[in-house]
Amino acid sequence: MTRQEFMTKLRGGLAGLPPLTIADVTADYEAHFTEGLAAGRNEAELAAALGDPARLARELRAEAGLKAWQETRSPSTAATAVFAVLGLGAIDIIFLLPILMGVAGTLFGLFVAVIACLVAGACMLVGGPFYHGPGGVVGMMFAGLGLMAASASVGALLTLVTIWLMNGLVWYGRLHYRLLKPAMDS
Amino acid sequence: MNETIQVQLKKGVLELCVLALLSTGDGYAYDIASRLAKGVDMGEGTIYPLMRRMQADGLVDTYLQESPSGPPRKYYRLTEAGRASFIAQKAEWTAFTNAVGAILDGVQ
Repeated sequence: MTRQEFMTKLRGGLAGLPPLTIADVTADYEAHFTEGLAAGRNEAELAAALGDPARLARELRAEAGLKAWQETRSPSTAATAVFAVLGLGAIDIIFLLPILMGVAGTLFGLFVAVIACLVAGACMLVGGPFYHGPGGVVGMMFAGLGLMAASASVGALLTLVTIWLMNGLVWYGRLHYRLLKPAMDS
Repeated sequence: MNETIQVQLKKGVLELCVLALLSTGDGYAYDIASRLAKGVDMGEGTIYPLMRRMQADGLVDTYLQESPSGPPRKYYRLTEAGRASFIAQKAEWTAFTNAVGAILDGVQ
């Protein structure tokens, strides 16, 4: 493989990452080729010693995804991290996928339920004075307030569980590509 | 030794090796990669994802320095956290290898 072929494959594998990260990573490998050539080695030899650019790109991609999740906890970084780990494409992750989908589906369903309860509580609170339900006006308003408070705390608990699960996945992903994946590939 | 076990062992201690190399002085990636490749027979490409990981973990940071030939080089140096991690990992490694060594000696 020539230097250009290696760099093209690496860039292809990194596509979609922030431009700054791509520039940073490719600069590292360009520098490696420059140093190696200056030391009297040829391009094919250097490319062979570096290893498969597609696998290197997958590792770098996973690292970038996990780092983004650790810096900002948001649904979008969570999705990026999950896909980065899945992108490593290891067999046992494929086995893990149905479980992961089940857990994600359940969490999503619970979140929807919490939001529905929150809305229902708000309706009871606001609508209480105009609607004569059981327990009278004050009863309706208190019931609405209670429902909102309860669903807010369940929601907070659910968020904690989600973050905890994500951290577990990130830990698993890092451990995985640090030790197992490179060993399987080589 | 089984090849898979060997690769796994090397992967596990690669970070410790990089910390050790940097503890004696700052270095640039090509130099670290070729010294590791020679010493423990590792693919040179693995060093770059590892260096990024270590930088993200705050164990090393980088600076640019002019090189006698070609463009400026990116040098890596240990941070305080990196130095502390090196001392801790080295102690762990020594204790572990001593324990394994003692068992192997007993079997002989």
